[in-house]
Amino acid sequence: MNTIIGMTWKELLRKKVMLMTLVMTVLFLVLFWFIASTLTRDVPLSPTGAVDLVAQYAKGSTLLTLGFFFGSFILAFLVIFSSFSSISGEAEIGIMQATLTRPIPRWKWYIGRWLGYVTFGMLYALLLYVSIIIVTDIHTFVPGNLMVHIQSFLVYAMAVPILITLSLLGSTAFSALGNGVFMTMFYGAGWLGGMVEKFTSVMSLEPDIHQRLNNITGIISFLMPVDALQRKMMAIMLGFDDLAGMVEVGSSLTAGMGLGQVVSGSFIVYAVLYTVILLLWGMRRFNHKEL
Amino acid sequence: MTQTAIHIDNLTKQYDNGRGCRNVQITVGQGEAFGFLGPNGAGKSTLVKMLVGLITPTSGTASLFGDAIGTVAAKRHIGYLPELYRYQEWLTGSEVVRLHARLCGLDKQTTERRIPELLDRVGIGNRGKDRVKQYSKGMQQRLGLACALVADPPILFLDEPSSALDPVGRLDVRTLLRELKQEGKTIFLNSHLLEEVENICDRIALLNNGEILRHGTVQQVLHAQTRWLFKIGGYTPEILPWLIETSGVQLHRAESLPDGERNGGSMGDEIWLEAVIDNEQQVGLITTLIVNQGMTLYYVYPVRERLEEWFMEAVSGLSHRGEQE
Repeated sequence: MNTIIGMTWKELLRKKVMLMTLVMTVLFLVLFWFIASTLTRDVPLSPTGAVDLVAQYAKGSTLLTLGFFFGSFILAFLVIFSSFSSISGEAEIGIMQATLTRPIPRWKWYIGRWLGYVTFGMLYALLLYVSIIIVTDIHTFVPGNLMVHIQSFLVYAMAVPILITLSLLGSTAFSALGNGVFMTMFYGAGWLGGMVEKFTSVMSLEPDIHQRLNNITGIISFLMPVDALQRKMMAIMLGFDDLAGMVEVGSSLTAGMGLGQVVSGSFIVYAVLYTVILLLWGMRRFNHKEL
Repeated sequence: MTQTAIHIDNLTKQYDNGRGCRNVQITVGQGEAFGFLGPNGAGKSTLVKMLVGLITPTSGTASLFGDAIGTVAAKRHIGYLPELYRYQEWLTGSEVVRLHARLCGLDKQTTERRIPELLDRVGIGNRGKDRVKQYSKGMQQRLGLACALVADPPILFLDEPSSALDPVGRLDVRTLLRELKQEGKTIFLNSHLLEEVENICDRIALLNNGEILRHGTVQQVLHAQTRWLFKIGGYTPEILPWLIETSGVQLHRAESLPDGERNGGSMGDEIWLEAVIDNEQQVGLITTLIVNQGMTLYYVYPVRERLEEWFMEAVSGLSHRGEQE
């Protein structure tokens, strides 16, 4: 299996999608740096003349929300575009016909590819996460301690195995192009659900309309949990649970931060189960795939 | 007694569109070279794909050295060059062979020894350092052969192994296949290049519309078709019945003549006669009878039927690829 993981890493390092992602990441970080320096130019002082910690927190939170909003896009696109053709694409052009006649069970091939993409994507996610935190920390206050950041990183990086699992499953069913379209649309639907969620949190709507939109966005979150996890990650990082203990916040604070409703801890368990089930389903489909 | 390398028993793959192959029964002995022929769409690649475990049979069974097809144990016996051959273009040629070696479980030392040997053997040599995306189709096909051979498997399934090669490359592959046969490899060869099959294979089978139409040794299928041509001068029409009666051989005016030749028909013309003759003594008798009758015998020669002619004759008039007539 190490051979397959190594081959996947080599593929990702040598393909242009990685180069493009790195270029885009650098551009994003440069842009983020300028946004951060612009937003934090005037450091507000409290009436006593000390640095206003609440204002610092608000600025740091805004910057992090902004950074991870775009950072999650970059991560998702790297993950989707590096893996969407891994099975159907290789089968279509004939690469798989030679390799799958080798004496290894198909499930090992599938898991090897999955692990290769996931480990690589997680490493990239870590790089991006740390970069956003460092840029924010240079300019303003970053809430949380190391444990909080480990937790929020793990929730943030869960997007990687989820999207890889979906992408590989889709690749057992659709053509390379079809799967690329499917994954982009599906991820887009999840993002749209998240946006609707954020808007409904701050807009005053009739209760039944609100309920109906909540139901729709809830279903979308269950089908594509990445955006909901992104909001959960921000809530962990910004310490909403601690704030809720000190002041009356509820959904109004998270809505104010552009996060909408934050899912509970059980949703993380659901996301893990979702990934495992889809992974097993993909493996089963791949085992029976006619090449 | 030769061990059975490939045993196929009533193997069937039926697709929804009616294509595939049906009730194929073949046994190939260890060290034998087996040629699998048939027009495009006859189902040859479908059969090979079932044997190497890429697709699942609808019914029937098959085994490789006793191991059921599709299992990891069966895959340990094979090297496969697919008809549609492409390799990871982000890797170098050496890296592709290394990948296949590692997937076959070869240790590092053996792998590193085999890679340059194989790349030289298939004619890639130092270009093994280049990325596959810089390879021509022919080079990729050579690389495919190296991958198929990397684990030194006892059975080779080669699906059109020289389809992308130039004449020199084809000759190289033919030489390589002969060497592999001498080394005792069992070769299952799918090819449209009938000369290749004729030169290498011990036995052949002809598949049409998913079913085996004919099979046997190359000698068997060609032997029955050996015919002799006689070019005679000073022919008279009454001589033919006499020759038939005296020699006991069914001579007749030749229908298929060498290029540039034509058959006369009148008194004193030059004419070509032909007959299917198994025994060369009969040829001697006929030439003696012709000369004794005062005619001139210009040429006598056997027309050894090529596999190509046999193939054309075998599939002529048949609907191919499952089209409805």
